[in-house]
Amino acid sequence: MHLNRTDKPLPKDEISFSLPEIEKFNLENGLQVLSIQKNKLPIVRLNLIVNAGSKFDPENKKGLSNLFAMTIDEGAGEYSSLELNEEFNFLGTNFGVSANQDRVHLSLQSLTENFDRSLELFSLIVNQPHFSGEDFLRQQRKILTHLLQLKDDPEEIADTVFSYKVFDKDNLYAFPINGYESDVKNISAADIKNHYENYFTPVNSTLVVVSNLKKDELTEKLNNRLRGWNTNAVTSELNFNSFQNKRQIFLVDKKNSVQSEIRIGHLSSPRTQEEFFNKLVLNTILGGPFTSRINLNLREKKGYTYGASSNFGYYENAGFFYVSTSVGIENTSNAVKEILFELENIKAGVTAEELEFARSFLIRKFPSNFETYSQLASSLTSIAAFGLPDNYFNTYIDNVKKVSIEDVNSAAVQNIFPEELIIVIVGDKETLLPQLQKELKEEIFLTDYSGNSITTDID
Amino acid sequence: MDLLNIKYEKYKLANGLEVILYQDRTLPVVAANIWYKVGSANERRGKTGIAHLFEHMMFQGSVNVPKEKHFKYIQEAGGSLNGSTSLDRTNYFEKVPSNFLELILWLESDRMGFFLPALTQEKLSNQIDVVRNERLERYDNQPYGLAWEILVSNLYANDHPYSWLTIGSVDDITSFTLDDVSSFFKKYYSPKNASIVIAGDFDSDQAKDSVEKYFSGIPGQNHIEGKAFDQSSLHENKFIVHKDNVQLERIYLAWHSEKAYSDDDSSLEILADILTGSKNSRLYKELVFEKEIAHEVTAYQFSGKLAGSFIIIATAKPDVKLSELKEKILSELDNIVKSGVTEKELQRSKNGIKSGFIYSMQNIDSMADQLNSYNFYLNEPASFNLDLKRYNNVNSGNIKNVIEKYLTKPYVELHVIPQTTE
Repeated sequence: MHLNRTDKPLPKDEISFSLPEIEKFNLENGLQVLSIQKNKLPIVRLNLIVNAGSKFDPENKKGLSNLFAMTIDEGAGEYSSLELNEEFNFLGTNFGVSANQDRVHLSLQSLTENFDRSLELFSLIVNQPHFSGEDFLRQQRKILTHLLQLKDDPEEIADTVFSYKVFDKDNLYAFPINGYESDVKNISAADIKNHYENYFTPVNSTLVVVSNLKKDELTEKLNNRLRGWNTNAVTSELNFNSFQNKRQIFLVDKKNSVQSEIRIGHLSSPRTQEEFFNKLVLNTILGGPFTSRINLNLREKKGYTYGASSNFGYYENAGFFYVSTSVGIENTSNAVKEILFELENIKAGVTAEELEFARSFLIRKFPSNFETYSQLASSLTSIAAFGLPDNYFNTYIDNVKKVSIEDVNSAAVQNIFPEELIIVIVGDKETLLPQLQKELKEEIFLTDYSGNSITTDID
Repeated sequence: MDLLNIKYEKYKLANGLEVILYQDRTLPVVAANIWYKVGSANERRGKTGIAHLFEHMMFQGSVNVPKEKHFKYIQEAGGSLNGSTSLDRTNYFEKVPSNFLELILWLESDRMGFFLPALTQEKLSNQIDVVRNERLERYDNQPYGLAWEILVSNLYANDHPYSWLTIGSVDDITSFTLDDVSSFFKKYYSPKNASIVIAGDFDSDQAKDSVEKYFSGIPGQNHIEGKAFDQSSLHENKFIVHKDNVQLERIYLAWHSEKAYSDDDSSLEILADILTGSKNSRLYKELVFEKEIAHEVTAYQFSGKLAGSFIIIATAKPDVKLSELKEKILSELDNIVKSGVTEKELQRSKNGIKSGFIYSMQNIDSMADQLNSYNFYLNEPASFNLDLKRYNNVNSGNIKNVIEKYLTKPYVELHVIPQTTE
């Protein structure tokens, strides 16, 4: 039989997909739990998210929340730092702690057969961390060395300077999670303990669980182990001043770089249910997947880069938009021009074909977001983190379908501001500066690796 | 373990394509994963990087698929896709809603059988630029990014195909012509040199029909015999110093070891874990935790079809001499040869490996790739239990033995130091 290869095969019948059911309940100590039962494998995945991230770092102590996260599992209950780690490893359980701008995350992945013991160790960390002077100082020395090492990393430098310029220093999201050397040296073990007392409480946290355990069994285990964790939170006033930038270039000199690391973007509105899907579809066309406009232009057409993308980023109290790429030095100005072109051009509107592609991409991809235990856990985490409605996943597909071409076009007009773009370029100044001055019309300012202005004359 | 005892079907088409089917209907998602038995180890000096550049070209369209459409069709279906090139093989993989299985079989078969007529100089020049940038981003502009290239070029003889980076040298990448690309395709991209795994939610009979429909018309070519290489060795230690844009000094020690899945491979992996795999591992505990003379330390057994190497890397804290780290590392190896490792250390590693096996079964696409990997190296896709057993059988005597056998031989020592240090 002759096969006609020219026609793209059409999908067979529509698939049926039922969403896992989300259980929402409180433990005896008030801790809110979001859980999903998934029976595929004997795995328990647990995520404790605590509102204690770097936005709470005090002035002159930037890096506190991160150092807190680095210290909380350095010894707890009757176990020293090394002993605790040995216990987890012996169970084949993965335990980790990290901080981001909003929250501290404690995560655990274990086989169900080892969950009881793993949860016991987890509860010791939550409830009886040592924060000993010796452990604290070791972790402090470790992050100071790490800060030194981050000076090597062009991506880290670009992200740091971009945040600092976009949010400005009056905004608590302006600072790097890892902090600054001088600030970190200012932090004491007592500060870490205070951070724990003030923020690390059940009412200030959400526990996310994905496992093959039944709800009753899970609830009992959690209550048994976490009942004793029962303290009150301190509420604090936070400042998220934002201001309007004007379009300008910040050049960070990284000598002998063979590439330029580029970030271009501006502040954007915080996440809201009304706008979220319009902005999601817009970005899917502009710079989300491989076949979006920015990547096709800079990579597949011009060959300037290995990859380029854009994103609407969200914190709990703020939002931002940025394009990110790295290019060969000789193409730096050209790449910036192409990105600026795409940001102007998207405001002129998208095509019906592009909209159809974006909706199809998002809707059909939806079931594959529910594959692994950790994917489910991070879906639940975003529900908790952004206070999304309980039916968020049930209405997701309809919400994407609803986005019209007018919605996308007005989202572009309302959310992309070419005149306010902060352009951060990290690379070798000597090679870059003459090129940028010749090719681009924006004013150029030099900054250090943290984003502070360097006031040498640019001639 | 029962969980690891998975069921699958394996058969061959008349043109030589191996087909492996693994059903898992928990989600309406299906993955396809093709391994072509060609990697950078099939290259020669002066032509390095062609296997990887070719992988890029496979996404540039084929007779019935215009440029950019390969990605577009799959993403429009809500799928994810990519490819990767290593020393021994090149893989291509995608995951889509299960009603789109035919789409990905059509796309994969179109580029397997009908790639050449769609090849143009414009596409090639574009992807040469992209790969040049990939090399800059991943190696040249990364701190310590050139260490690996220096290491392997000193560890292996100049004509050994593991002596260069898979991405290739800049000069080679930019020199490739349409002729290079099309002769590479003709030589290696044949159904006879490939295996496809379909994993996830599909009907077995329908999947077989579709594979037959799209792939059977592609002619099989001659089988390519892999070239064998003698066990590599160094006659004496080599010492190299490289200056880089870094703050902290770093030492690399590299020895010749053994091939993937050879007798000693799993003992070397467990040794690496006992040395640096956790906070309580020997080198981490001593150098990073207790003495704080290293910022980080890591060891691994890196093995392929032709050869293997064992590498230890330690980054010094400021003002610590690399010679001090080296001395501590070598004396710990000595110590293990004398006194062995404890039962508890072995058990810790084995427990971690066992959990890791189960954690890795969560993704249908990583299952598909693992089946192809086992099929490639062991000729048996369902080797999970056999693989786990390789680790479970390792004892203290094996660990002592592999140190004596491999790590007391000559090695390459590389120091990466800051530019400013004179």
